[in-house]
Amino acid sequence: MSVLLQVSGLEVTYGPVRAVHRLDLEVHTGEIRAILGANGAGKSSTIKAIMGLVKPRGGKVVFEGQETHRLPPHKVNRLGIAWVPEGRQIFSTLTVYENLLMGAFGERHGQEVQERLEELMQLFPILKQRREQLGGSLSGGEQQMLAVGRALMSRPRLLLMDEPSLGLAPKVVQFLFDLVRQIRDRGISILMAEQNARQALRVSDYAYLLEVGQIRGGGSAREMEASEEVRRVYLGG
Amino acid sequence: MEQFFQQLVNGLMLGSTYAVVALGFGLVFSVMRVVNLAHPEIFMVGAYVAFMVITGLNVNTQGLAVIGGVGLFLLVLLAGMAVTGMLGLLVERLVVRPTRGTYLLIPFIATAGVSIFLQNGAQRIFGPDPVRIPSIIPAHTFNLGGVRVTSMQVTTLLTALAIMIALRYYVRHTRWGRATRAVAEKPDVAAACGVNINLVSQLTVSIASLMAGAAGVTLGLLYTSAAPFMGLLFGLKSFVCMLVAGNRHIEAIMAVGLILGIVEALVTGYVSSNLRDAVAFGLLLVVLFFRPHGLFGSYEI
Repeated sequence: MSVLLQVSGLEVTYGPVRAVHRLDLEVHTGEIRAILGANGAGKSSTIKAIMGLVKPRGGKVVFEGQETHRLPPHKVNRLGIAWVPEGRQIFSTLTVYENLLMGAFGERHGQEVQERLEELMQLFPILKQRREQLGGSLSGGEQQMLAVGRALMSRPRLLLMDEPSLGLAPKVVQFLFDLVRQIRDRGISILMAEQNARQALRVSDYAYLLEVGQIRGGGSAREMEASEEVRRVYLGG
Repeated sequence: MEQFFQQLVNGLMLGSTYAVVALGFGLVFSVMRVVNLAHPEIFMVGAYVAFMVITGLNVNTQGLAVIGGVGLFLLVLLAGMAVTGMLGLLVERLVVRPTRGTYLLIPFIATAGVSIFLQNGAQRIFGPDPVRIPSIIPAHTFNLGGVRVTSMQVTTLLTALAIMIALRYYVRHTRWGRATRAVAEKPDVAAACGVNINLVSQLTVSIASLMAGAAGVTLGLLYTSAAPFMGLLFGLKSFVCMLVAGNRHIEAIMAVGLILGIVEALVTGYVSSNLRDAVAFGLLLVVLFFRPHGLFGSYEI
């Protein structure tokens, strides 16, 4: 498996606050990798830096051999990375249909966009039903599906997911993580920031532990699940 | 009763122009989170462009047939929109882009500077007194059941309606219009979807500016004059329209603009023309007291 994404020495600061410090991580093609950590550990900052939404103070982000840390987010998207933001963040004043179209904004060919739309409607029949409804009128779980669907519309090779399970009912979380596996099976690699370590480890191949902006450890999901420390701190014993 | 309809029609003409300028304000504010204080001066530049083109062409406007008059009007309108559109691009690049996203006050002050620059520029070039703009639409008064409407008034209304329809179509049914709505709501997410935010910023400010320019051309022709400070009061009232309507729906701004025009006309006709200007601000006070986010709601800032 080749290295799809490589982050080295990442430094993210907000004024005097150091959110991410000397962070190294990788994602290989066909993998699901998780960044586990508590609130405020720096997971979102890492994801945003990869997406180009935040300019890192230092370090490098290399995607498919190309340096991306100085690129604006729309260029990062065009290169093949899509973002499922924390808290869904769907466009509430746009319809479901329009939200999905926004996901494929970089693609100019109408025919191509329609084909992707069809595929997605098959993956998420509920979205097909709610096509003309405003995004803001959907339930939390439906919004999460829309957010994921929107990200998939750009046919990314890497999907960045920021706390996908946050605020969702357990059944929906289950469905969501099964979905994540399905996405990986379609050839899309995933980097996921998650507080819900149990679910994240269930689907991931590899996980990093992030504490106060620094990586404290990492290993295969099985190793993580078996580790005494991880069990104690992240999985509640 | 006839008086009522007459004032209603007068008010609609004026109101449609308030609406167009207010829409420009609202567009830039809701998409870029910037109050462009130079917007009313861009409106003023439109009127002066009309002045320059018409006097520059030195056409004998007396003998123009309708086709000639309308053709000339369209030429002047396009010229006005082209100049103000480019002016908008310049303002966006030099003033809006470097200052947006920071505190609301910084672009506010910066664009105020542009506004003063344009006012003084106009004064210096054309003098402080109003200049006369020859009318180019052949004068004709239509009589619709007792209500008298001049051809220039009709032109003003039609132009404003055409602009509003075009804007609504752009926002609701085009790819970039959709992107503009997305940026207005969540710029980070829109950027991550592949939208070039700088491009949307340029598009938005230049569209708002050419709208202001069109309003300036039609109003300049309607009142047959252009003056350096004509943007002040007009702009302020349009700004009030934007505040009263909230920035969530462009249809709201259109409606409030029209209503303001009508109410002003009715007050002028039935009460006193001295109170005309007080109407707008009185309305603002009342509405903001009960609904601080505007009548139809706003996005959070």
